[in-house]
Amino acid sequence: MSKKSKGLIPPGLAYVADNIISRQNLLGAPRETGARWAKELNLPKAAETIFFAGCGYQYNASLQSLMSLIRKLDKSPIGAELPMGLAGFQKKLGIDPAQLYRRLAAKNNDSSAQPLRDAVRVLENLGVEFGYLAEDEPCCGGLLHYIGLEKDFVRNARNLYENLKSRGVKRIIGIVPSCTYTLAELIPKHVPGYDLEVTHFLQVVLEGIKDRELRFPREVKVVYHDPCQLSRYLGLIEEPRRILKSIRGIELVEPDRTYGEWSTCCGGGGGFEVVFPELSQILAVNRAKELVETGAQIIVTHCPGCIMQLEEGLKVLKAKDVEVLDLAQVVAMAMGV
Amino acid sequence: MSAFGEYKKEIMDAAHNERIRLALSRAIKRYRANVDKALKEFPQTVELAEEVREIKEKAIGKMDQLAEQACQVIEANHGKAYIAKTADDALNIIGGLVGSGKLVVKAKSMTSEEIGLREHLEEKGNEVYETDLGEFIVQKLGSKPMHILAPAVHVPKEDVARLLSAITGEELPADIEVLVATARKLLREKFFNADIGISGANVVAAETGSLFLIENEGNIRLTTSAPPVHIALVGMEKLVPTLNEAWKVSEVTWRYANYTIPQYISVISGPSSTGDIEKVITYGAHGPGEFHVIFLDGGRTELARHPELRQVLYCLRCGGCLYECPVFGVTAGHFGDKYFAGIGAIWAAMITGDREKAAALAYTCLTCGRCKVRCPMKIDVPEMVIELRKLLVEGG
Repeated sequence: MSKKSKGLIPPGLAYVADNIISRQNLLGAPRETGARWAKELNLPKAAETIFFAGCGYQYNASLQSLMSLIRKLDKSPIGAELPMGLAGFQKKLGIDPAQLYRRLAAKNNDSSAQPLRDAVRVLENLGVEFGYLAEDEPCCGGLLHYIGLEKDFVRNARNLYENLKSRGVKRIIGIVPSCTYTLAELIPKHVPGYDLEVTHFLQVVLEGIKDRELRFPREVKVVYHDPCQLSRYLGLIEEPRRILKSIRGIELVEPDRTYGEWSTCCGGGGGFEVVFPELSQILAVNRAKELVETGAQIIVTHCPGCIMQLEEGLKVLKAKDVEVLDLAQVVAMAMGV
Repeated sequence: MSAFGEYKKEIMDAAHNERIRLALSRAIKRYRANVDKALKEFPQTVELAEEVREIKEKAIGKMDQLAEQACQVIEANHGKAYIAKTADDALNIIGGLVGSGKLVVKAKSMTSEEIGLREHLEEKGNEVYETDLGEFIVQKLGSKPMHILAPAVHVPKEDVARLLSAITGEELPADIEVLVATARKLLREKFFNADIGISGANVVAAETGSLFLIENEGNIRLTTSAPPVHIALVGMEKLVPTLNEAWKVSEVTWRYANYTIPQYISVISGPSSTGDIEKVITYGAHGPGEFHVIFLDGGRTELARHPELRQVLYCLRCGGCLYECPVFGVTAGHFGDKYFAGIGAIWAAMITGDREKAAALAYTCLTCGRCKVRCPMKIDVPEMVIELRKLLVEGG
């Protein structure tokens, strides 16, 4: 990044962009941290089809802790200047980022990467053969595009393509909506001859469960929240609903008007939450309210950003009897895997 | 505090303002219900919108020719027409026509907001009245419009009652009917005593130089017909070639602006005239004897050359996108400059040339894309916003 460009990018985003460019993940965390969730799954690294886990779920716990810190700062008097340098902020407050990540990493064996473990079990259960690149998985760099750092995005995209090709990858199963859209739609525009076949986890599942009997462990009322990138960008609106409707025990309800292509954003779009943490929280609460008003016991969605936002929203609303689950978790539970 | 810091404080203050949230939540609910009803009763509007998108795409490519054509026709029809290259040019032309010490009534026009026309005329010593009820409220509050069609969308009725009570010295209830009647009384004499009426236009047909003005209140009719002089300020992107196309654009505009049938559509092509005495054409019968149209470029022809950002010129200003923007839903027009929300960021970059302001707005867009679903022109706001970020960050 040139100095000139840094001037206009809200510093919170500049920080994230630097992390992607230098460390190949949003947080600038050590890459082994991200791959930790899959340790016991024994997935092969070399495979023609790979499961692309993406930053969102893999660093979810760290992101959550960092966001709660950012929100606290944003509301404090010193926060008036946030979106200033996040790194600068940390210094001001005497926070050592490296130490913060180590601490976060220590508790990174929690449930926030559960959707990934469940997705892997679901794919295995469906007989799909695939590998996982673990600490060698490159960052899709999508956020660079959204930030406006197109040159960096293109550079990252070309490196990613060469990297994956050199490993013999032919097909990608994506799960994070934003990564999947980037791999399927954005990168091909900049990489001549791009020939990786990109499918979303949902599409694989829908195809795979055709003749299956799925049953949720209990009778529940479920509302589905469409992530923007999944519904309006990738056009996957019917697919998640068909999956949910095929599961016995699940009653699918929809909010008034705001579903499918009219779904309301959770407030965590494209790095917005880093620039406007407090506003982002207000939007999360608004969306959570729309969903809670349906009377559903479970909010199902399929994006790490949305999960983080909606959980935050529910917390503020004190809606203790409503939980947020990823669609992968729901399918895994319904398969009994 | 940095420019971004100040902007952020402004939108956060708005986000914490319960009055704004209350007013917007009411407005969003009604807008959605109304637009659903309008599209249900006139389902052909959706297809018509697709046709209008094509009309706009073609027209935007030849705005300068259409403006020339319209000017010639208007002049031939005894009006006066001008092309203003910049906002300053437009202010100078209109300022020259108005002079000072005049009473001016104004219909609502975003283009006049864009160039700061009211403030300019007031500085020159004129008394200027906004006559659109929402705009009147905003003017009296000393605030700025918070929505392109519903400028007082952020003000609940209780606050309007307080405002009008202060103006009239009477204790007015928060009863919308009473408030409307009060505004009517306040503005009535202004229309008939005004020296000049100023309006915008929703669409202009180049072949006849006809301005199409859509409204419900009737203030546009009065503004454009009661005073002896009518001045219209129109952005060049409002031009389409034919009358027939202008009707189509108008119909789609009002439908997506949530009106099934607008109460009034005025089509104005020249000064008022009569030939009733000995067939001698005389100007200024019952309507204005002078008719001036100023077509504003203000960066539009340059914007039209950009492959993605040119979409901003397809905008019909129906305002539908704003009701679907989650950020606008809690901050109103504070997420904006002269125009609002994501699409407003593009206008800000074009109009003000203030890169910091444009960047602040561009990064306030969630790029969630619900505006695009609402837009009758299917303008891809996220795509434009990302393109703008790129231009701001990487230059060009």
